[in-house]
Amino acid sequence: MADILDILDIEQPGASEITRDSIIHGDKVKKKYVTAKAVRRPEGMHREVFALLYNDNKDLPPLLPTDTGKAYKQTKAKLGMRKVRKWVWAPFTNPARKDNAVFYHWKRASDEAKEYPFAQFNKQVSIPSYSESEYNQYLKSEDWSQAETDHLMDLCQRFDLRFIVIHDRWDKAAFRDRSVEDLKERYYNICSILSKVKTNPWSNTVTMVNGEKRVYHYDAEHERKRKEQLKRLFDRTQEQIDEEQMLLAELKKIEARKRERERKTQDLQKLISRADSGNSVANTQANVTNEGVTMPSNTVSNIVRRHDRKLHKKKLTTQQRLVRVETVSVEWSGIKFPEARGTGVWLRSQRMKLPPGVGQRKTKAIEQELRLMNIDIAPTPTEAICKHFNELRSDLALALDLKNALASCEFELQALRHQYEALNPGKTLSIPPSICNLNVDGEAKPIGEIIDVVGSPTALNTTI
Amino acid sequence: MSGPNGMLYGGDEIGALVFDPGHHSLRVGYAQEDTPKADIPAVIGVGPATHIPDAEEKVPDGNVTQTATKKDELRYYIDVTELHVPRPGMEVQTYMKDGQIDNWDLFEKMLDYCYSKVIRSPSEHHPALFTEAVWTTRPAREKLAELLFEKYQAPAFFLVKNAVLAAFANGKSTALVVDAGASQTSAVPVIDGYALVSAAVRSQIGGDHLVTQAKNMLNNMHIQMVPIYSIQSKEVIRERERARYTLKTLPAGLTQSWQQYMLKRQYEDFVHCVAQVSEVAYDDRTAASVPGLHYEFPGGYHQDFGPERFKLTECLFEQSLGAPHLVCAAAGACDADARAALWGAVVACGGGACAAGWLERLAKELAGRAPSAHRLKTHAPPAPNERRFAAWIGGSILASIGSFQQMWISSQEYDEGGKGQLERKCP
Repeated sequence: MADILDILDIEQPGASEITRDSIIHGDKVKKKYVTAKAVRRPEGMHREVFALLYNDNKDLPPLLPTDTGKAYKQTKAKLGMRKVRKWVWAPFTNPARKDNAVFYHWKRASDEAKEYPFAQFNKQVSIPSYSESEYNQYLKSEDWSQAETDHLMDLCQRFDLRFIVIHDRWDKAAFRDRSVEDLKERYYNICSILSKVKTNPWSNTVTMVNGEKRVYHYDAEHERKRKEQLKRLFDRTQEQIDEEQMLLAELKKIEARKRERERKTQDLQKLISRADSGNSVANTQANVTNEGVTMPSNTVSNIVRRHDRKLHKKKLTTQQRLVRVETVSVEWSGIKFPEARGTGVWLRSQRMKLPPGVGQRKTKAIEQELRLMNIDIAPTPTEAICKHFNELRSDLALALDLKNALASCEFELQALRHQYEALNPGKTLSIPPSICNLNVDGEAKPIGEIIDVVGSPTALNTTI
Repeated sequence: MSGPNGMLYGGDEIGALVFDPGHHSLRVGYAQEDTPKADIPAVIGVGPATHIPDAEEKVPDGNVTQTATKKDELRYYIDVTELHVPRPGMEVQTYMKDGQIDNWDLFEKMLDYCYSKVIRSPSEHHPALFTEAVWTTRPAREKLAELLFEKYQAPAFFLVKNAVLAAFANGKSTALVVDAGASQTSAVPVIDGYALVSAAVRSQIGGDHLVTQAKNMLNNMHIQMVPIYSIQSKEVIRERERARYTLKTLPAGLTQSWQQYMLKRQYEDFVHCVAQVSEVAYDDRTAASVPGLHYEFPGGYHQDFGPERFKLTECLFEQSLGAPHLVCAAAGACDADARAALWGAVVACGGGACAAGWLERLAKELAGRAPSAHRLKTHAPPAPNERRFAAWIGGSILASIGSFQQMWISSQEYDEGGKGQLERKCP
């Protein structure tokens, strides 16, 4: 910056910075260094030669090399560019003190005398006060004498309403021992009474809300109960804690088991109710399917009840739940394609995307079925195709579920038959053909007919 | 003190002195410093003035406080350089009793010494902050204020409970302070900078008890503790070999109390070097697995100490007297609302807390005893001298805080209100 100013020949304002020189030389005015009009370098003379003849201060060049650099001199560390300010051991008074005691501390000589800065932290809690007559008029209590109340208010002032400390320093020799809650109750009582009587809201227990006085109400009974509970909580023995831990762990286990069971029954319920709703459509083939699914549970449970009471308990409950299922109507399962998309433009093929809830295995199975039916896995997404393709896959999913359920029922049935035969040797369990045959029936039927169950056969057929 | 942006920071030093009298030593120094200027044994040698020290045991004259001229006057020997010289007829006395100052005449001598030899500045220039035990009685407190104001002309005086200061030294205003001192161990709950006097508990098990135990242990092991001042020279010997040393000729008439005191210092050193607290309750097998520690006695005898090191300190963790029990008792005596905060800030301080493994053992025992509903945290400064001087350091911090300067009882206030206001002003 200074260079530019020099070049432009602009007068530099007085240096604001204090340099080492200015400190050492004090007020001596810095000699202005004036350069004489530079002698022009004659044409053809080398710069280096000219520099030997004419340098800035027009001295002759030295005959011997001289050492003017800072080679031997350590450059001094620059610790700030300000002058050192003096400190003095000065007396001060603290306005937070009432006695004007004089203490001494270090302060800058340059700092003007001002109020002791730490006095601003002298904050006090405002505690209500009352006169003798006020006490007699409003604050009389059967439980508390005036001396005791005075003592309480005094301690409140001294310990800034730290009731635990107040309780600790309570004059137990003069007054009877009181609990922290007793002390608080009395104090807040006095506050609320005085705030009603007196006009100026002095206390921190009074807050103004919408120009209306609100007095803090202390619920001593509740506090006592709370503290009692807290004490009990802390005073538990190790055995009690262990027992509680154990019980909590047990509870968790039970709940986990319950959830698991519910999830299983819900799955079954969905399937069955889906079949039921198919039944209500009243299709002849649907009837068969319906019978096929609900009958086993009925018969199985009947068999169970009649012949085998020692069956596994858990199994029994599931079976019973199955019986109950018929009365519960649940929305059909299958795949629900979400309707609402985000705003903006989207591809219609997005609508054919399987929702994220459909598992990997199910997706694979559906694709497999589609391939068997010679249907493109990703058809051209026209409006109609989208709709029907989604419906088709939904039905396929349902069909797969039903098939699985049927297979498991079949398996269970066979297992029970074997069990029955093992328990009653020599007897064979005759299974009604309506149950047994179903499997074969179902397999034999063309897929399209099973899908028919769902509804709109015409639409489907046309799509395919 | 105040920054360029008008913010207030740091403290304000007013040249205050902090005194922390204890059973083992008295700590004294300027407020705002991080360690006391002096750590003086809390005993004073009182001997007849007639004794003229021999040339060889003459120490710089500076350490003798009272130059007695009359024949029957007594002379007082304070601080190790004076005290540890064998002098005929010099009795060792302490001014402390049960955590409080008891012998005021002797204590005055100690204060004289502090002002003239340690601080080297007149007492009327320095406000004095004293620490006190939680259970200090009212007469003792008032006596101290009287002494400072009337004899020493202190410009201001203040008394703070040492547990509060130890909490401050650890940066806490609410803490459960465990002070493992020389004569006793105490646990004091501190809430918002106020010690809960009625909940404080203490037991007589402290550093001195440990020293007694060490003495018994060495006696049982038939190891003789030869007083170091009586030894002229000793030979280098092999481990567990019989010590060979020559005795010095000592002046006749060394008092029993002085000899006891000197031996106690030696046992203290032994305990300090050798004793270690095991992390769990003492167990022969685990203690044996730890490598031994070598210790050479003043007589020259030396040997390794193995499991004994751990066995020795077990007395500090006795079932109903040890520090963990005290902590539980103190916390249990507090209001239920305060307990969570207290368990979360258990602060250990005092010379006893410097023993290796002491803090870890305390933390471990407390973890087993503390209610599981609370978060337990044990604090202690890492450096041993910060642990030892915790109360003093807290006092040093407190006396140099700007907003504390309004709390002092000034000499004006004392003149007007008398010593009765001490209870009000120094809670």
